[in-house]
Amino acid sequence: MASYFDEHDMSNGEGSAQPRPDQSLLLRILEMARLLQEEMDVEIVSDLGFMSVSGKAPPASKKVVEELETKLISPASACLGKQCAICLVSFVEEDETKVLPCNHQFHSVCIVTWLKQVNSCPICRYELPTDDPNYEEMRKHKARAKQREYEQETLHNSMFG
Amino acid sequence: MTNIAEARIRREFKEVVKSDEVAACNIKVELVNDTFNELRGEIAGPPDTPYAGGQFHLEIKIPETYPFNPPIVKFLTKIWHPNISSVTGAICLDILKDQWAAAMTLRTVLLSLQALLAAAEPDDPQDAVVAQQYKENHSIFEKTARHWTAVYAGGPKSYPDLDSKILSLKTMGFEEHQARAALSSKGWDLERATEYLIN
Repeated sequence: MASYFDEHDMSNGEGSAQPRPDQSLLLRILEMARLLQEEMDVEIVSDLGFMSVSGKAPPASKKVVEELETKLISPASACLGKQCAICLVSFVEEDETKVLPCNHQFHSVCIVTWLKQVNSCPICRYELPTDDPNYEEMRKHKARAKQREYEQETLHNSMFG
Repeated sequence: MTNIAEARIRREFKEVVKSDEVAACNIKVELVNDTFNELRGEIAGPPDTPYAGGQFHLEIKIPETYPFNPPIVKFLTKIWHPNISSVTGAICLDILKDQWAAAMTLRTVLLSLQALLAAAEPDDPQDAVVAQQYKENHSIFEKTARHWTAVYAGGPKSYPDLDSKILSLKTMGFEEHQARAALSSKGWDLERATEYLIN
């Protein structure tokens, strides 16, 4: 009696090392899925890393702090009665102050003490660069993610908007 | 205490005392001693929350490095809230930890705590038992929080059914707060609370 395989004009597959075409396609799809999954995992891991390594942001870059311009309070600006948000004392003539890129002004001593601890403006949290490579990497990563999101939205809007 | 910390607290103290919120009886700060490193705060429970009608007392300790580090704050009044320990009064709030900024003040801290009472963050809990109840059995959570507000913070709403359960545990020899805490964490199931207290 002819075997099942003979009747159906097939080999029984034993010893055939070559994967069939549909099988290799399946393998390739699986490989792609694995890669995608890995990429997602990297993203999740790095997000977690950001949370756990530094719940608190690192100090501002020493160089950037040194390069902040010092501004003396003029008689005219002393009259405005503005105060330093760190020590809550009003600026008086000849006070030495620094202005951050976000335009917030503080006594030099006050803001330098703060920036030795955290890299952001005490009022608006504008972030200055840091000397911490991991934190900077994370920041770039976040900026890229945001940019991607923006691009995707723009693309979506141009197609369906 | 360094000069900047004390000088700043003196200024802030004046700011809180003359603020609109004090006028409206929403927040209050008092000195404990004349060194300005320890204060007592008070916030009113926000309206339309289980804490409405209650007055909550806070212990505020000012570190020497203030305002470069946050004040250390905890609830003295017992409260049932996912982000506040029902045992110690410790608070889980980002601005009192890593999100502190030197431009924040006693006034903004007290207002943030008031906002926390109005909007809990159950996914970032301080008290895991309360947080779980908040998510899984919200009506029991609200009732419990309202009950605690009435008992400990002078809130208006009383629940005779809850009081009678506490009474039955008291007659078994348990202390009142212990009984209340056990019943609260066991969803007011008398049997489970008793079992919990015995073990």
